[in-house]
Amino acid sequence: MKPMPACFGKLLPGFAERSLYSVIVCAFLISSAFAQSDATFANANQEYAQGHFQEAIDGYDQLVRSGQWSANLFYDLGNAYFRTGDFGHAILNYERALTLDRHHPEADANLRIVRDEARALELTSTLAERYLKFANVNQFTIAAAIALWVATFCTVALIFARRRSGAVIALSIVSLSIFAGAVFAIYELDNGSHGRALAIVTGMNVQARVATADNANSVLVLPPGSEIRVLSNRGDWIYAALPNSLRGWVPAKSAEAVRL
Amino acid sequence: MNGTRRRRTAWRALLVGTLGFFVVVCAFADSPSATAVLSNSEAAVGETVQLQIRVTGARSADAPETIAVDGLQIYRTGTSQHFEMNNFNVTSSVIYDYTILPIKAGTFKIPPQTIRLGSNAVHTPELTLNVADSPGRSSSSRSNRGEAQPESANQLVFAELVVPKKVAFVGEMVPAEIRLGFDPRAHPELADGPEIAGQGFTTQKLQQAQQNLETINGKTYDVITFKTAIAATRAGRFEIGPVRAKARVSVPRRQTTQRSRGRPFDLFNLDDPFSDPFFADPFGRLAERREVEMESEPATFDVKPLPPNAPPNFSGAVGNFVMTTEAKPKRVQVGDPITVTSTVSGRGNFDRVNAPALEDDQGWHKYPSSSKFKQDDEVGISGAKTFETVISPNEKKQALPPLGFSYFDPVKEKYVTLRSDAMPISVEGGAAPAVVASQPGAATPATAAASAKPSPKPQDILYQLTERPKVAQSFTPLYAQPLFWTAQFIPLLALLGLVSWKSTQARRENREAQRVAALQHEAAELMRKLRRDDSSPQEYFSQASRAVRVKTALARNVDPNTVDAETAAAAFQLDEDSRERLRRLFERSDELSYSGAHNGAGGISAENRREVLELIENLRP
Repeated sequence: MKPMPACFGKLLPGFAERSLYSVIVCAFLISSAFAQSDATFANANQEYAQGHFQEAIDGYDQLVRSGQWSANLFYDLGNAYFRTGDFGHAILNYERALTLDRHHPEADANLRIVRDEARALELTSTLAERYLKFANVNQFTIAAAIALWVATFCTVALIFARRRSGAVIALSIVSLSIFAGAVFAIYELDNGSHGRALAIVTGMNVQARVATADNANSVLVLPPGSEIRVLSNRGDWIYAALPNSLRGWVPAKSAEAVRL
Repeated sequence: MNGTRRRRTAWRALLVGTLGFFVVVCAFADSPSATAVLSNSEAAVGETVQLQIRVTGARSADAPETIAVDGLQIYRTGTSQHFEMNNFNVTSSVIYDYTILPIKAGTFKIPPQTIRLGSNAVHTPELTLNVADSPGRSSSSRSNRGEAQPESANQLVFAELVVPKKVAFVGEMVPAEIRLGFDPRAHPELADGPEIAGQGFTTQKLQQAQQNLETINGKTYDVITFKTAIAATRAGRFEIGPVRAKARVSVPRRQTTQRSRGRPFDLFNLDDPFSDPFFADPFGRLAERREVEMESEPATFDVKPLPPNAPPNFSGAVGNFVMTTEAKPKRVQVGDPITVTSTVSGRGNFDRVNAPALEDDQGWHKYPSSSKFKQDDEVGISGAKTFETVISPNEKKQALPPLGFSYFDPVKEKYVTLRSDAMPISVEGGAAPAVVASQPGAATPATAAASAKPSPKPQDILYQLTERPKVAQSFTPLYAQPLFWTAQFIPLLALLGLVSWKSTQARRENREAQRVAALQHEAAELMRKLRRDDSSPQEYFSQASRAVRVKTALARNVDPNTVDAETAAAAFQLDEDSRERLRRLFERSDELSYSGAHNGAGGISAENRREVLELIENLRP
């Protein structure tokens, strides 16, 4: 065995020390950042409780900008916007809360109330979307991954086995079917009316038009909080699928994507 | 050499063929003929008419300089030659242009003219020219006779406003036409307009409808027609127009301000600018582009006011309309949107046609309508305007209330209200938010339907949530996160391990199979040798004992060299007699192998062989 150079003997303890120090510093910074965001969240909640809704919105927005996203944060932000009468942003934030946590009962309840108030129009889900709503994209992703691996292991076992087992063949077929179904579900949910292209109209008196001009004929008047599905962007305009199976151009500044 | 000669011969043949073809074509060319046409068979006194004599099939001819007709002055003003090739048929023709000036009214016959072609002669047909005494069309048009414009330019253009209807109601769309005429020889170009001057009315955007050649008072004009519609905005009598436009035309450049009478080309001392040789030979002199202002006569218009007692939903629509309505979906929940599509079609001022209104909107929430108009004509006074209105029921409903649209019919001179039929629809369920708000997540459509009551005051939202998860959540779907793909290494490594293990196992099994196959092969070979009786006793017993060892090795999966008589007997569970015989076989084999070939008998009896074979063949596991 070769003897270790003397310099390594000196270096290694130093390297370990520095690494440990770095980890401690990072942990401290992360915990302090989180503690700071906790304080901001608490302050925003306090402002809301005192009726200072605009200040509360500023506080929540600060957290959103820093990437400290959570369903409750968006829910609270939606509530604050509701109190200021901005139904479009309220609906947008409730939708964001439900995107992060589809079983968020408070966001779901408040979303219904605000939609009723705002008379917001909703996109119609396709038949496939309606049937696939029992799980979300992440759950289908996990199902697809597990099914694919099971099918792969079964196939390997079949290749090396002396005798082809009927049970293994059946399991591999079932797994592949589940994988295909899960991939289809992911595609449908991600590209459907409530997928990644979902946007909410936040402006007032927004009209979808047949062309990218303010004086073009109107296709549909979109109350704040109405859902649209962004199909393409052109300059300051969005070409979107609208409620009632219509399509039209909407000013880009009048709508915001649900997914950040 | 041969190739070059062959190519040269081919070229010669091609050349001869081409020349022959042209000779044949020329030989079969049409014989000379002459035609004569007038630019117009109707003219007025003082208006020039062009006569063209065309001699086809000749390169030169002798045509008269003047044609003598009483009451007409006819002078030749130009000659040109044309070559045409049509389906390899080359035709040459000579064209003689004459200008005719009628100096009195009447019907004149231009006699056949004899055109000499060398020793031959051809004759033109007789032509008839009717000359009227009227001075020409000027009542509906006039040109602006500004000082800056030469008189000749004014003869090249005219403008006209045609309004067929002289009495209308306020808002009634009256179609109108603007006609701009240009002498085509002046290469006209519309520079500006046309525009209709006046106040108290609105006009639709001018649409160029058609452009064609027209003969007006013996003169040919290129007439551009613009269509529009006029609607008065107030009652009373007022003038529409005049129509003004600007055009650029080509006129011959004047050398002097004073027109030189007796110029060789102005044969008749007229103001017709096209008697100038420029038009016979445009490259002989430069032309001059001039801008001409065109102005029509105004049209008078009597506008009557709309009668009082207009219906409440009258929005100013005047015309004649029909209405259709449609709603979908027909089956909704309370609060769900229903799109009502109503189409108002017909003829009238569609800019004042508003969306038909619900006659009873109680229990309905109505969103602003959107509209699109599809016009059936050029000016947009005929077509169909489609409105899409989203409404949502606030309570249970069985039918969509009728929609009403009112307009004024200028023909019947009264207001008309169109009503759609009540459309049956099914509105189910109730306002879910109240239930959901109080019991989040517990509401079902059935319970929501049971509590369907329109709420007079808005629902309040739920409380703030003060808890926050320790880890931030992400909108990025799992499949797009690096962690997800990193995690796939775990099953991937497991899979690789499985594949490696299975491969090793397979290789091992393969070696064992090869060993068994070799032993089976050896056993079979030994049995074959034992059945022959050509081997010595030493060889025979050695092979016999080896056969037993191999069979035992196959049965016990052991090395054949480690097998002895007892092991073999145990492996095949032999009885005492067979065991004894096997023991003797091994002893005999050892004896013969180790004690030399001289011990024992010199050969093996057939009975011994049979006995040994029987013993070995009966060794079965």
